[in-house]
Amino acid sequence: MTAASGPGGFCAAHRYGWGEGDRVVPVYAFTQGRTRPSGHELPYEALVTATERAVEHLPTLQPERRAIVRMSVQPISVVEIGANLTLPAGVARVLVSDLADAGLLVVHLPQPTTTGGGPREEILGRLLDGLRSR
Amino acid sequence: MGSAPVKSSRPGSPVWDRPLIPLKILVAGGFGVGKTTFVGPLSEIPPLSTEQVMTALSVDVDDVAAVPDKTTTTVTMDFGRIAVDDQIILYLFGAPGQDRFWFMWDELAHGAVGAVVLVDLRRLDDCFAAIDYFEDRRIPFAVAVNQFPGSPAHQDGAVRAALSLPPDCPLTWMDARQARSSLDTLVALVAHALERSSGAGQAPEDPAAPR
Repeated sequence: MTAASGPGGFCAAHRYGWGEGDRVVPVYAFTQGRTRPSGHELPYEALVTATERAVEHLPTLQPERRAIVRMSVQPISVVEIGANLTLPAGVARVLVSDLADAGLLVVHLPQPTTTGGGPREEILGRLLDGLRSR
Repeated sequence: MGSAPVKSSRPGSPVWDRPLIPLKILVAGGFGVGKTTFVGPLSEIPPLSTEQVMTALSVDVDDVAAVPDKTTTTVTMDFGRIAVDDQIILYLFGAPGQDRFWFMWDELAHGAVGAVVLVDLRRLDDCFAAIDYFEDRRIPFAVAVNQFPGSPAHQDGAVRAALSLPPDCPLTWMDARQARSSLDTLVALVAHALERSSGAGQAPEDPAAPR
């Protein structure tokens, strides 16, 4: 199986200078065995974008971190990063968290929700308008 | 999928100068009901799947007995993405169908707009668990009857009764292979979620009320 081949046979990882052969250690070695942060801190759908500082530091980064910064030039979610790199979402989450702590990624978290737990009315209204206009 | 992708207002700059708003909708239902098919045509990226490592504690007892040395397994989850406007990006998550993967649903359901429960009328029993899950947690959901060739013909009322659906729960008849028909289901769900959200302040529903 090639890197990141999903059900449709899609392969994206090589576009970011990353291939399956680059990985010679178990995936959790990337994160020194850490599995934090948890889902509530950094949910699957959290979006990230690279900072200018990240682009400056690109050559100094490890391959998988470099690949993440490259794909974050456009907004991309934690779950997409994991799929593109064929890493479990939990591993992608830790890598993203590290890059954000280093000031290389900006994290766009879901906004505070209503008491019921869902998005606010104004956001739902925009979502409805956006879907209806498609 | 005509809408413009999200773009930076400063072309060429890697810095995103606008906050982005991620949203998610779950797509649930029994095994083989069409969750992957539903997500695919709607997504503006080729549908991807991600894996999540699961420990033995979460694995069904039968599986562990069958494979005594196995301590972890992986769950794959399909997802797709729709850029809604210049800030909002909606993710669709095909929730793993089997009961033993429900531990994943709690994380997926947290903060979700709502859920689409896909139903195959030939295997109605498969969707009860999903409906119960979202009802119990008061997560807005819509039921979408995915019409397969040879699906029995039923009226709305018969399906609602068979599934004991709350009166305000949207019920759509659709073909998951058609993006338009899946989009209509999402619109029905979001309209329902919005209605509940705007009504929540004045007249909270009584969870104990008969449905």
